[in-house]
Amino acid sequence: MKIYLDNNATTRMAPEVLDAMTPFFHDQYGNPSSFHTFGSALIEHIETARQQVADLISAETSEIIFTSGGTESDNTALLCGIGADSERPGLVTSVVEHPAVLETAGYIEQTGHPLGLVKVKSSGSLNMDSLEELVNPNTGLVSIMKANNETGVIMPIREAAEIAHRYGALFHTDAVQAVGKIPVDVKVEGIDLLSLSAHKFHGPKGVGALYVRKGLKLIPFMHGGHQEKGMRSGTYNIAGIVGLGKAAEMAGYFIAEEASKTSSLLEKLESGILKKCPGAVIVGASAGRLPNTATVLFTGVESEAVLTLIDLAGICVSSGSACSTGSKDPSYVLTSMGISATDANTAIRFSLSMYTSDQEIDYVLEVLPPIIDKLRKISPYTR
Amino acid sequence: MNPRNVGKIENPDGHSEVGSPQCGDAMTLDIQVDNDDKITDIKFQTFGCAGAIATASALTEIAKGKTLEEAGEIKNSQIVEFLGGMPPEKFHCSVMGHEALTEAISDFADRRDETRNHLEAVISDMPVELEHALGNNTITIEHVHPGRIRISHLNEETQKIAEILEKELYRRLGRTVEVRIAG
Repeated sequence: MKIYLDNNATTRMAPEVLDAMTPFFHDQYGNPSSFHTFGSALIEHIETARQQVADLISAETSEIIFTSGGTESDNTALLCGIGADSERPGLVTSVVEHPAVLETAGYIEQTGHPLGLVKVKSSGSLNMDSLEELVNPNTGLVSIMKANNETGVIMPIREAAEIAHRYGALFHTDAVQAVGKIPVDVKVEGIDLLSLSAHKFHGPKGVGALYVRKGLKLIPFMHGGHQEKGMRSGTYNIAGIVGLGKAAEMAGYFIAEEASKTSSLLEKLESGILKKCPGAVIVGASAGRLPNTATVLFTGVESEAVLTLIDLAGICVSSGSACSTGSKDPSYVLTSMGISATDANTAIRFSLSMYTSDQEIDYVLEVLPPIIDKLRKISPYTR
Repeated sequence: MNPRNVGKIENPDGHSEVGSPQCGDAMTLDIQVDNDDKITDIKFQTFGCAGAIATASALTEIAKGKTLEEAGEIKNSQIVEFLGGMPPEKFHCSVMGHEALTEAISDFADRRDETRNHLEAVISDMPVELEHALGNNTITIEHVHPGRIRISHLNEETQKIAEILEKELYRRLGRTVEVRIAG
């Protein structure tokens, strides 16, 4: 028995997506950039996928650039976005960003750009006062994630984009965890650049997209064969792109028709845990969160021990910390919310998907409480 | 997972609390020691990963029945062997257990020193009733344990001497030290 509740790490690829991709691993192996029709006929499939992705985020097809995934999209957005206006060298991002943004921002800072890190509130949501303080006329780019990968907390990016634009800065959002789970509308939210990744919503790994608002001119980050109007050179990953397109189409349907099923399963999981595991706390409970994510602090119970035992019971979840060098680094996302290092090291993240069933949640609620109880009895922190 | 020797000992002979405040990892360890300095009981509690729990379980199993000296020399390789192997990247998980045991043994030694020092103080600055009971004899201490001492049999007043010592030690230490008579 395997119950997969780690969908913020990656998702199961939809069988429909695999079916859509398969021909491009077999007889349709041509290069879309070729002159001959065997290859060039494949462009049609890439453009269909582009339309499917554009539809999911209310963009135009000309605004979608295919990439190798979230990390590449984030890197392109930051490295190219910060170079767009030499008069505005400043970069502002938040302390809870994914490493694909934070590490890139750190690199950009090393190359001489001022970097401002926006704080979050104890709810996990963005501290807007902190953002207002950090953005100024020298700011070239503001990058705030749409939803946090660890807590699922949804950030007020429309308001953040307004602040960025008020000072003349570009606004990027790392929407890797949000796209495919909740509605994202680049026009309504005033987004200039957006990163998304296929494997977070049942598409294949190794493919994603960067939305670049029409009219925004960036100097490309990858140079070569001029694919994607020169913005992203490299032979088309046609199977991956077609898979991304199909996954985007399915995600649109999921958001419109089925997301409420996932959120009710999440509610059932959360209330069941709170009832059966005394001392459990839902992180970011007071903030708006993704309908699939719950991070729970099982206070007094060390998370890696929980992971080990829950894994033996066939349940896949994740924790914010990793015991690698003898002393653990607690999750910076959780500690930045004011959670103590000890409590942060009790965090377990459950992330559901459209494939999660009611029976699976029942099983978790049956298996998990005795594990927590057992470890709590071992813990010196049990009062 | 069924770790052994989990919990606390009521009135332990040695106790330790170790850990890392940075990440909250913590372990408590209690030992009970007999008159031959052998560990008769050992219990731990931990806030640590499964590796820390497993290695502490193994360490306490190995330490049980060993003298304090032997227990202080338990090697990581013995723990790995006891567990039937362990991935090398998990070897460090046993560090906290070793620290906890070392600290508990040193706590035992401190408590023993404390008992001995107070016993010697009582003897060098004797209350009148003790002096009276002793007569011309001197107290011979055969063994000191934090919670009990053994003295040689002297005369028909030895029982009374033991009672006086117990009372005096309780007054000074605020804990009961049982005084036994050899033979």
